[in-house]
Amino acid sequence: MITSIKYKVQICCGTMCYIMGGAELHLLNESLPSSLKNKVSVEGIPCFGKCDKHEKSHPCVLINGQVLNNASTQKIVNHLLTIEQNDLL
Amino acid sequence: MTYYNNAVITKRELLVRLIQQLDNDTLLEKIDRIPLEMRPRTNSPIRCCVHKDRAVIKYKIMALLGFNIADETDELAPLRDYAEQALKGYTQNGNFLTVVDEACSSCVQVNYTVSNLCQGCEGRPCQVNCPKDAIMVINGKANIDHQKCVNCGICQKACPFHAIAYLPVPCEESCPVKAIRKNADGIEEIDFDKCIHCGKCMTACPFGAISEKSQVLNLYYNIKHQSEKTVAMVAPAILSQFKASSSQILNSIKAIGFDEVIEVAEGANMTTDHETQELLERLDKGASFMTTSCCPSYIQFTEKHAPELKPFVSDTPSPMAYTAQLAKDRFPNYKAVFIGPCLAKRSEAYTNENIDYVITTEELGAMFAALKIDLVKTDITQDLDPVVRPESRAYAAVGGVTNAIKTVLSNDHQLKTELIDGIDKKSIRLLKTLAKKNVSEAAFYEVMACDGGCINGPVNVAPLKVSQNKLKKAIQEIQPEEAVI
Repeated sequence: MITSIKYKVQICCGTMCYIMGGAELHLLNESLPSSLKNKVSVEGIPCFGKCDKHEKSHPCVLINGQVLNNASTQKIVNHLLTIEQNDLL
Repeated sequence: MTYYNNAVITKRELLVRLIQQLDNDTLLEKIDRIPLEMRPRTNSPIRCCVHKDRAVIKYKIMALLGFNIADETDELAPLRDYAEQALKGYTQNGNFLTVVDEACSSCVQVNYTVSNLCQGCEGRPCQVNCPKDAIMVINGKANIDHQKCVNCGICQKACPFHAIAYLPVPCEESCPVKAIRKNADGIEEIDFDKCIHCGKCMTACPFGAISEKSQVLNLYYNIKHQSEKTVAMVAPAILSQFKASSSQILNSIKAIGFDEVIEVAEGANMTTDHETQELLERLDKGASFMTTSCCPSYIQFTEKHAPELKPFVSDTPSPMAYTAQLAKDRFPNYKAVFIGPCLAKRSEAYTNENIDYVITTEELGAMFAALKIDLVKTDITQDLDPVVRPESRAYAAVGGVTNAIKTVLSNDHQLKTELIDGIDKKSIRLLKTLAKKNVSEAAFYEVMACDGGCINGPVNVAPLKVSQNKLKKAIQEIQPEEAVI
């Protein structure tokens, strides 16, 4: 079965996000449930400036262009599952 | 080993705030506000109340300024006083860990506890089998008398309902050499006659109660005010820690304000050559085996716990020591700063007069973050040093030293080698047996205190798998083309 990438996860690699937990997020693929496997692309991107405006928003992540603050692996997975649900409905 | 928890994030946030304040020249006036800013009044404090949370932050700052918490003489002394002293520089005593006692003391005295799964059965095997008569049944539920319990664990094994749980003390459990124990007040204390500075207790404590004594503020103050010229010596593991190319990382370090940057992999070239020579000589003379000498935690282990191993340890200086020598030769009046993933290097540097400062990956990351240096956008002004061999960068991962030596030996020698990947209770037994028997299967043992090697050091910022991939890329960057398969 061929599945195409539906969700683009972009992790901020600015140093602040990176040291405040962003580094761990690059292992996201290992925590994806089977329903999401092969549908998610994970990449690092340069700082997109969110943390300058809001204190304590790091690490920041973009999911299909939408910002997720204070991201953790579980938060990203939950977010992906929610949009997956909505997509299926 | 997991590094990612809120206690780790707190430490990094503290480092970033301190460096930011120092950079804005507001450190002395604002440092005492940090505990209030980081722990505002809230309905859900982390510990008992906001005041305790703030006190914990205060003492964690004190450790990051380089002080021993136990040396506090006046509880009312503001952080400003400590900061003033720290900026002037302070005397070290060779011990680089300190217990933040305000943050500690939360762990159990007795490792076994009866949970509410206890059925209060008639058989009461826990009580019957307890050798110290420490279990009483009160209101139909077993209770452990903490005065009598000796942590033998028999009650836990005896209970058919699995109602008795084992509660570990993470720092004590993680220490491979039993160097951390509770004092009479129930607070952990590090015995520096035993401590090998591996840093395992520091990463294990979920309260962040064990802190390293940092030099980073003193260093950055001197860089900022250019009171001394500095040369950064960058360990190969650093190149595995950030999402950027090696030249971007090295140039970003320069952008902090270091006058010169050299790779410690350059010193590793020399370690490889010297150690290979030494190994051949030793084997010729009939030695049964030789171990590596580059891991400072392992060296402290042999000194403090296994003197019988000493004759088998290579005498070759570590890559850091060789690099520091190079640094002093090239830049005689510069202060030499080692940047690495290692806590034990602080104590190795303490005994090496060529090295003036040691800072860690975490502290480097905090400097990048505080000074808003974006690694991928940094201009490349200094090219990579062509003398660095790919195998020398590979020192950062377990197996790297072995591989470097095998490359020098080429195929003429059939060298049997063995890796000791991480110092723990099991590998300690193995090493001690080797020394006692004086015969071994392998001729060369590479010993790394951290499992995975330096890229899994206690003060790193990237998880092991990310670092492994990143290190491979860093090695490929200098791989001569014909060597790429």
